[in-house]
Amino acid sequence: MNRLNVRTGPVGLPASAPLSRSASHTVPVITVSALRNAASKTFDVILLSLVSLVFVFPFAWMATTALKSLQETLVFPPIWIPERLHWENFLEAWKSGPFPTYLRNSVMVAVSVLLLQLVTIIPAAYAFARFRFPGKRALFGLVLASLMMPSQITFVPVYVLMSRLGLMDTFVPLVVPFAASAFGIFLMRQAFMQVPDETAEAARLDNAGEWTTMWRIFVPMAKPMLATFALFSLIAHWNDYFWPLVMTDSDRLRTLAVGIARLKDIEGGNAWQVIMAGNVMLVLPILAAFFAARRHIVRAFTYTGLK
Amino acid sequence: MVRARLAPYVMIAPAVTLLGVFTVYPAVDLIRLSLTSWNMIDPVKTFVGFEHYLSLAADPDFRRVLVNTFLYTGLCVAAGLTVGLALALWLNRGGALRGFAQAAVFSPHIVSLVSVSLLWLWMMDPQFGLLNALLVSLGLGRFPWLTHPDTALASLALVQVWKNAGYNALVLIAGLQNIPKELHEAAELDRASPWHKFVGVTLPLLSPTAFFLLVVNSIDSFKVFDTIAVMTQGGPVNATNMLVYYVYENAFEYFKIGYASAAGVVLLVLVFVMTFLYFGFISKKIHYR
Amino acid sequence: MKVWNVLLGIALLATVSACGREERPINPQPTAATGGAQAEPSGTTSSATEIEFWYPYSGMAGKTVEELVRRFNASQSEIVVKASYQGDYYENHAKVLAAIAAGRPPDVTIIEIASVGAFARPGTLENLGPYVERDGVDLNDFWPGLMLNSYWDGKLVALPFFRSTPIMYMNVSMLKEAGLDPAGPKTWEELRRYARALTIKDKRWGFTTPIDIWFYESLVFQSGGSILSEDGTKVAFNSPEGAAPIRFWKEMIEEGIMKFPPGEKYNAWTVADTDFFNQQVGMMFSSTGGLAGRLEQAKGKFELGTAFLPKNKEYAVPTGGANIVLLSKSTKKEAAWKFIRWVTSTEQAAFGSMSTGYLPTSRSAAETPEMQQRFKEIPQFQVALDQLAYARPRPMIPAYKEMQELIMTELQRAVIDKNISAEQAVAQAAAKAEKLLR
Repeated sequence: MNRLNVRTGPVGLPASAPLSRSASHTVPVITVSALRNAASKTFDVILLSLVSLVFVFPFAWMATTALKSLQETLVFPPIWIPERLHWENFLEAWKSGPFPTYLRNSVMVAVSVLLLQLVTIIPAAYAFARFRFPGKRALFGLVLASLMMPSQITFVPVYVLMSRLGLMDTFVPLVVPFAASAFGIFLMRQAFMQVPDETAEAARLDNAGEWTTMWRIFVPMAKPMLATFALFSLIAHWNDYFWPLVMTDSDRLRTLAVGIARLKDIEGGNAWQVIMAGNVMLVLPILAAFFAARRHIVRAFTYTGLK
Repeated sequence: MVRARLAPYVMIAPAVTLLGVFTVYPAVDLIRLSLTSWNMIDPVKTFVGFEHYLSLAADPDFRRVLVNTFLYTGLCVAAGLTVGLALALWLNRGGALRGFAQAAVFSPHIVSLVSVSLLWLWMMDPQFGLLNALLVSLGLGRFPWLTHPDTALASLALVQVWKNAGYNALVLIAGLQNIPKELHEAAELDRASPWHKFVGVTLPLLSPTAFFLLVVNSIDSFKVFDTIAVMTQGGPVNATNMLVYYVYENAFEYFKIGYASAAGVVLLVLVFVMTFLYFGFISKKIHYR
Repeated sequence: MKVWNVLLGIALLATVSACGREERPINPQPTAATGGAQAEPSGTTSSATEIEFWYPYSGMAGKTVEELVRRFNASQSEIVVKASYQGDYYENHAKVLAAIAAGRPPDVTIIEIASVGAFARPGTLENLGPYVERDGVDLNDFWPGLMLNSYWDGKLVALPFFRSTPIMYMNVSMLKEAGLDPAGPKTWEELRRYARALTIKDKRWGFTTPIDIWFYESLVFQSGGSILSEDGTKVAFNSPEGAAPIRFWKEMIEEGIMKFPPGEKYNAWTVADTDFFNQQVGMMFSSTGGLAGRLEQAKGKFELGTAFLPKNKEYAVPTGGANIVLLSKSTKKEAAWKFIRWVTSTEQAAFGSMSTGYLPTSRSAAETPEMQQRFKEIPQFQVALDQLAYARPRPMIPAYKEMQELIMTELQRAVIDKNISAEQAVAQAAAKAEKLLR
């Protein structure tokens, strides 16, 4: 794995090594193609910046509003640089509720859900991708059906069920309903179905059992997809407001997303700068997770086959 | 594919059991409730048979809600996938600037919509909004955005596409990364043009991922709730009222649980049919290996 | 690596489930003297009776509720109130319903006034009449205007908690600059005139209001009409009085002197706020709840004034906000009643009002020295209180929540579409509303 993102062939040598990198005594040549390259590069940079701006604009607004004074928040067109940086907004948001508890709960829920999901969906996706068995279509249909159930509809029966089982004051209602992810099974099935038959056959000939094949071969090959899934799962459960609100009756088990929602007032007079500060705090861990995941997703990736 | 006996069942058992409990059980409950008239408080639920379904069929507002939902789904899926694919192809390279662009494009997905809904309302304000300022400066005149029933749905779809494009792009990038480089190289050695490389290698091998996004985007758009609750609450004049929101309103604001459940059952049936059609017709064209 | 992950996951799950059941106090906020999590069916097993109080307030109002609960718990030791936030009004309603369905409802909660009927009809709310009589609570101390949404079927089922009325906010500096009376317009016609005078084409609108049912109700009452008949069985807004507000708004919008905000409900209110504070509109209708925050926003920018909603034939406003109720399925009614009585009494009502900007719910609360001082310092607060003399109840029939949505849809349609007259809109809304009343 080389840092220059040079494509490598099956044996690890540069497939087409550009001369300029190996030579230590290059003579800079200004050719027409070099100029065209520079122009297209500049154009590229401009376009990238414009597109980034379009998408990140609201996010930037949120971040700058977090540092404004109350009076600056409702000014429109928005002020981009507040007169003074009001860092105290963050403190106020933090103090508005039991934030350490919320934070701890958010982490517990998001991480537990993800771990459970990995354990349940990888074997399931593998089975759906690799095997023919009676009832497969019906069972996969069931998996997809669960994608279609909105939480606004399922919450009352699940709430009643959890109540009857005496599980209401635990993390179970927050974690277990999501322990299997239809989204994840579907996503990983697609990824696993792309593994060439020959690779799997080779493993079988080597007398590798199904579990070994799954963990040692299929999973590494689908790493970008797994990383993507992990990221989405973390984001979804970190930002989930509705389910933690309805499945918990008290603050003890509530998550950060619910805590942030409490910064808003119903009939007006909102302190937008504090609300945005809360939202920035909510988003920072996700940003970190994004950058971590990205490294797993967008590597110049080569799979060199079985040893 | 391999024929196997016990292994597959063991492997899918935990997932399927969990999904069964948390999907089948509420669904059965939903169907049961749709046949009753209940306000959630009375201990007695009156059985009314198919009365609610008949009411739904006769209600022009419900028909409007159905139309809205289909339209919205169509818009979001078409635009979302196109933009997502374009972004994925363009951004699928290394480099610091691209990394930043990927993060920027993805940022709408990680931010809660509640926090930026206010900004969107301002940007779409017909008189003072930034978007109209842009349109006016290009000589295109003012657009009513969220204030007019004819344009509110499309405006909401715009917000949704903005939110999802980066998500689609990221999945597609992962999918692109999944394509073994040898195939690209082989095509190159065959002196294939970039277009041929795209159509011959990239697109087919990307199709499993693209198909996945098609199904997931469709289901998600069909199920939309948060965007409506945060931005328009179904208005103006019911122009952005859609199925899940309709169910929620009827259940928890009007206390008509039976009626809402019937609408919920309709939702499930429609989504199921849609997904079935996807798998039936498109799945064949997906190239897996 | 993966195996390790699996083990970690299982370990975590085990810890998590165990953690969940542990009974230990976690939040630093002492809202419960004990750390217990489950409410016992009979209050005799622990030394204090615990009651569960679910409330729908966030922001400043939420903090005020938490403080009130803290004070109650600190003031005595027989009852411990466990208060928890449950989302906004409607999320709280949904949760209460789900909890009732699950057989474990809270003891005390807050219901938005137009939904009180929906909860009262199936017998969910306890009749407070006997308690009031036995303990000699003076119901006449509460403002009559606020008691209107507390009765169902002749029984007292709720007491006023955080209540509000619509008021008119004005940019007094702008009015003065235009040579208008800083006390603001007193009638609809004056409102129209003032709006005209304040409008600068494409830059400033004289007036704005969210096209909201609350303001529609206000204007219908002001025209001498009502939404429903006295007994709540017939539609009454299908009349000239019901059409008048729509015609009024349409005319002002078409003339270009009134701006109507995009979005609905609280989104529209916020957009109206933004326009107002950016001095792009001169006058707006909004709620008295949040007055404190709005005064803060205007500080240094312009002089903020408040006034009654202008009259048509008469002054009139509906009230708003929510009432506190005792759930009939509670097993700790005595304790719950004690809390309800305490939290609605003079001192607490005054504190609640001072802290949030909601109305002081009783005469004695308004007459406390602190509130009198507040009125002297900030006369804008007095306006909402004075307007209470003209308060009318909001319709309370269980179907009203759905009806108000229907009415609002037709309102919006009429306001957006030039070709629909006010009379047509009202007729269409009435036709749909009548179906609900059957």
